Amino acid sequence: MTDQPGGPDPATTSTDGDGTEPDARYTFANERTFLAWSRTSLALVVGGLAIAQLLPPFPGIPWGRHVIGTPLILLGCAVSVISYFEWKASQHALRHGRPLPRSRLPQILAIAIAVIGLTAAVLALLSAVAAR
Amino acid sequence: MSPPAGKTPAGEQPADDIEYADPGLARARTELAWTRTAIAFAALGAALLKFRPVVGLPVLVISAVVWRLGRLPGAAGAGHGRDRRPLLITVTTTGVSLVALVLSFLGQGIISLR
Repeated sequence: MTDQPGGPDPATTSTDGDGTEPDARYTFANERTFLAWSRTSLALVVGGLAIAQLLPPFPGIPWGRHVIGTPLILLGCAVSVISYFEWKASQHALRHGRPLPRSRLPQILAIAIAVIGLTAAVLALLSAVAAR
Repeated sequence: MSPPAGKTPAGEQPADDIEYADPGLARARTELAWTRTAIAFAALGAALLKFRPVVGLPVLVISAVVWRLGRLPGAAGAGHGRDRRPLLITVTTTGVSLVALVLSFLGQGIISLR
């Protein structure tokens, strides 16, 4: 890639069957992005587990906690797997000097959290009505 | 080879950003990211230890392993693209997620904490 800061140094650049070694800073940045998504994944899992185990049951809706907690845990699992494949795709693109693939994780995360949030709001309203 | 900190190779414009002048900072930031990930695993392990010690202890051990993995040379350090550490993190996180899913359906929730 010609637009990389510093550019590949012939002295340290290695080529093998999987492209050319990119600038180390890009590899590090890609790794940090993957780790950030992994932490997001763990946070979703912890949040889901906490809701399912620690939240008091919704009055009149005993299964309500699982309706919120289970999707969060599954979302955490999905984010973890998708972030790995995105890391791999980005690394492959870097090694071959291609444009980085567009990440779909922000879109997936935003939509999923919005849906789960709306579900939580509906459950809270339903339980409030049931408690009367 | 990267230039020494604060210096640029001959024939190149001085970098505006110190990171562009010294990739060592990128390495340090990446090691810190690994440390934060290890802390996230440790926090989950400590939380699980509270009500499921059998599950919490292994997760705490995993956090130490993750911290150690962050100190190993990865793809950038080893000079090849075959870095298995992200795969290891993904498998671990997925496994922890599945265990958490099972745990969320076990027990009586908040009642079991009393």
